[in-house]
Amino acid sequence: MNDRRRSRFWGRIDWTLLALVGVISGIGILNLFSASRAAYGMPVHVSQSLWFAIGSVVAVVTTLVDYKWFERWAYFVFAAVCFLLVAVLVVGTELNGSYRWLNFGFFMMQPSELLKVAVILFTSKYLHDRDFSTGMSLQNLLVPCGVVGAAVFLVLKQPDLGTSLVILAIFGSILLFQGLRMSSLMTLAVVGLLSIPVVWNFGMHDYQRSRVVSFLNLDEDTHGSSWQVRQSIIAFGSGRAWGKGHVESTQIQKGFVPEHENDFVAANWGEERGFVGMAGILGLYFALIAWGLRIATQARDKFGALVAVGVSATIFWHVFVNLGMVTGMLPVVGLTLPFMSAGGSSLVTLMFEIGLLMNVSMRRRALG
Amino acid sequence: MSTVKHEFGGKQQLGFMLAVAFAFSLLLGRLWYIQILHGDEYWRASTENIIRNIEVSPPRGRLMDRNGTVLAENRPSFDVVVQPYQFVEPKDAETPPPMQLLQGYLNLSKEDVERLAKKISQKQGEVLIARDVTRAQVAMVETDRLRLPGVEVRANSHRRYPLEQVTAHVVGFMGEVRGNELKEMEQFGYRPGDYVGRMGIERAYEAILRGAPGIERQVVDARGIPQGEAETRFLIGDYQKVDPIAGRDLVTTLDARLHLIIDEAMRNYPSGGVVALDPRDGSLLAMYSKPSFNPNSWSGRLSAQEKLRSDNDPYKPMLDKTVSAYFPGSTFKIVGALATFEEQVMDADDEVKCPGYYRFGGRNFRCWKHGGHGDMTVSQALQHSCDVYFYQVAETIGIDKIAQYGYGFGFGELTGYPINDESPGRMPTKEWHRKRSPDGFKYGFALNTILGQGDTLATPLQVALAYGAVANGGDVYFPRIVDRVETSEGNPLFVFDPRVRKTVKMDPVALAEIRKGLWLAANADGGTSYSHRPDNVEVSGKTGTAQVHKIGRIRVANSEKEIRFRDHAWFAGYAPSDEPSLVLVVFLQHGGHGGSDAAPVAMDIIKRYFAGEDPLARKIGEVHNAPTPSVEGVGEREDVSSGDFEDVNDLISIDAGTDSEVDQENAGE
Repeated sequence: MNDRRRSRFWGRIDWTLLALVGVISGIGILNLFSASRAAYGMPVHVSQSLWFAIGSVVAVVTTLVDYKWFERWAYFVFAAVCFLLVAVLVVGTELNGSYRWLNFGFFMMQPSELLKVAVILFTSKYLHDRDFSTGMSLQNLLVPCGVVGAAVFLVLKQPDLGTSLVILAIFGSILLFQGLRMSSLMTLAVVGLLSIPVVWNFGMHDYQRSRVVSFLNLDEDTHGSSWQVRQSIIAFGSGRAWGKGHVESTQIQKGFVPEHENDFVAANWGEERGFVGMAGILGLYFALIAWGLRIATQARDKFGALVAVGVSATIFWHVFVNLGMVTGMLPVVGLTLPFMSAGGSSLVTLMFEIGLLMNVSMRRRALG
Repeated sequence: MSTVKHEFGGKQQLGFMLAVAFAFSLLLGRLWYIQILHGDEYWRASTENIIRNIEVSPPRGRLMDRNGTVLAENRPSFDVVVQPYQFVEPKDAETPPPMQLLQGYLNLSKEDVERLAKKISQKQGEVLIARDVTRAQVAMVETDRLRLPGVEVRANSHRRYPLEQVTAHVVGFMGEVRGNELKEMEQFGYRPGDYVGRMGIERAYEAILRGAPGIERQVVDARGIPQGEAETRFLIGDYQKVDPIAGRDLVTTLDARLHLIIDEAMRNYPSGGVVALDPRDGSLLAMYSKPSFNPNSWSGRLSAQEKLRSDNDPYKPMLDKTVSAYFPGSTFKIVGALATFEEQVMDADDEVKCPGYYRFGGRNFRCWKHGGHGDMTVSQALQHSCDVYFYQVAETIGIDKIAQYGYGFGFGELTGYPINDESPGRMPTKEWHRKRSPDGFKYGFALNTILGQGDTLATPLQVALAYGAVANGGDVYFPRIVDRVETSEGNPLFVFDPRVRKTVKMDPVALAEIRKGLWLAANADGGTSYSHRPDNVEVSGKTGTAQVHKIGRIRVANSEKEIRFRDHAWFAGYAPSDEPSLVLVVFLQHGGHGGSDAAPVAMDIIKRYFAGEDPLARKIGEVHNAPTPSVEGVGEREDVSSGDFEDVNDLISIDAGTDSEVDQENAGE
């Protein structure tokens, strides 16, 4: 019986999810190989491959544990992450004027990345434990909004506007999936609009404001804040329909696009593979997100469904905001492109979330 | 296990999918817009990013004298420029800011640094940091390129003038294109920082000397560092370079040797101009102006001190005296002499008695010689420079006739000299006086005019061309300064043939008499320059002493007058007398007397020129310090001061002249 259940369990491996993640990550590593210009040290595509391997192990481990376990520890995880966020503000390492990192000697950790997962777990558990089948009222929203809001405030303090906004977006997506009453939706919209000037004046730093301003008049100062965006757009545009070909991105190779291995990594893909390549990668992301939502609808319980939605939302918001900013549609806020941007912290976190998705998928309803 | 209804999320899933699809289609739309609709533009932009077109300036044409001696050439130099966009502060704290490094390497002053930093921050095109830096500085900047993003060393060339101040005015110098000229000159391809001829031949023949720039295409990265050859070939193919077309060389008619001789002969006089030409074709052999300046330092960064010294010099070093107008004094008498014949006022043998003054309109017009010259024929009048003879001629023919013959010789008109904005001089007429003189025209003006005084003005060049006409039988040539244009390999492209501007109608008898007068002046006892004549060649010529200031009742010696009130000294003549090959005009501004100052200088020049002396054989640097010419030269000089009759008379005429009522005092030997 036990053996049969186990074999049935393995038989439910979500090959589609695996294939999508594998292909996108493969493209990401190939792309980094082409974009890499490092003259010394470990080439970034190699380190990225290593992180991918580590991430895969994390994903497998995450898959093996029944997600009920995560449901049980959700609040604790959330509290722990909040503790780390406070620690960052107190003993964090400064980089470019903001405190985002905790230095563990052999490893630098970015707790705000963890908060994305923590918020997904916390929100899913909170909603799972209550019955909001008629939609959430404003009163119902008070507690989760207050708790998440407080945590996001810590991130905003670092300061890290991009991550703060994306966490709120993920949180909002989960709430929307759960369902809100029309009246509370309207009220939130109004409050949100009214808070914009307040945030602009008191909640934002000068460099953040200058990014927004530079975004609004893109071509005025070609070498100011928007210089990198301008160069990034040139990179995309110069790829035209079919791209310049592998390792022939002059914009990237010659160093015109800053952060070309991280936030602006898509510029390399766009320049070398053109519109066709970009459409392809967008299609893959769309498939991944759609598959995540499908997993949500087939989950065995609400917690699993909301976790799946949260993970899908995380990928969606990252892709949308990142591509929006590198193509000059949105201001530059510093968000990575999932599976493509170099960076261990975000890749491992992402793989953990993919593990959760796989977990929910393999323990879906039909399994009982 | 808390279960959920089967429908949970079904509705939302659809909504979410639509939302995601919508958001992604926005992204796709944006990518379509950038990559498909505007792809070609951005593709060009990316190409422009990595390909930098560097203008390669052409080597400027050289200037040679008639014997191939170089008057202006190029020497290699290095400039340091900065591309502002790439000139960024280092990210880590250990690396010093690039501006600080440059300041150390190039010895920039604090003000320079501030000015440059401001210019760089404007981010409008490249900024010139330093011009003509030393090789050691080039080495320092080149070896530290990695810490100096956007900094480049440009090979350039600087102008060098081997003869320094000796040929400064005629050859000219170079200067940077100024901001206010830029707009106009941009259409001819000039860029900020380019040099352009500022004076002399450099300026007049700019278009020929300049050449056409070439272009070099380089592949660079974001820091502006040029990429390897293989990569460059791969990205832009073979179309990497268009060679510049070198400026054309100019072979001038000038004679460097003569210029140096003149410079030595002029050493005792602070200011003046000397023109030497070949009367047979109007070729200019020398256009010498003094005081001068060093074109080598004016072509680089002129020190403020040097500029100030030049600005404050009362003799105006930047003014080309060979083409500026002055009272020509008695050298102008050839015009009166010609008029005498052509208007049949008198024949060659007719005499006028000079008692030392001429009575006209109730006034005494003085002759320079107080006691009078006695009976004078026209040639004798030229020999002795008798004023009374010409007063008589002037009274007979009137001012307009004088002007007519003056114009005939080319006075009062531009000569067609292409450089340094020559003055047309002035040939006063009745009409001119009616318009310009405070009291209108008076008949007596003719008497001043014929002596090259009053309102008559002429440039040394005009005087030389007029004497050239006497020397060659009547042809007034256009002055030739450039003989031919050559390619840098020495192939002639264009030859400037001699051109006659006008021919003076001269009766052979008149010509012979004028020549005789000029010959007597230098070769017969009593002639104005007789005592200074050289022994190796026969010279014909006329001296002149032009008063520049109305003399009051109290007479003072020239040497005691304020410099600006001293007389101009002239000598105009040609040699050899029978077959002239050289016309020489020496003009000494406020230099004293024609007979005792200009004539010795002129004779010294002529003597050494025909003796074949070559100061070029000496080192250039010694020229100005060299204490002096030959022993014979000094001997002659002593003769002069020890008691030449004529000189004494000169002094007497000025010192002793008493109660003349002439408007404009006339002098001249």
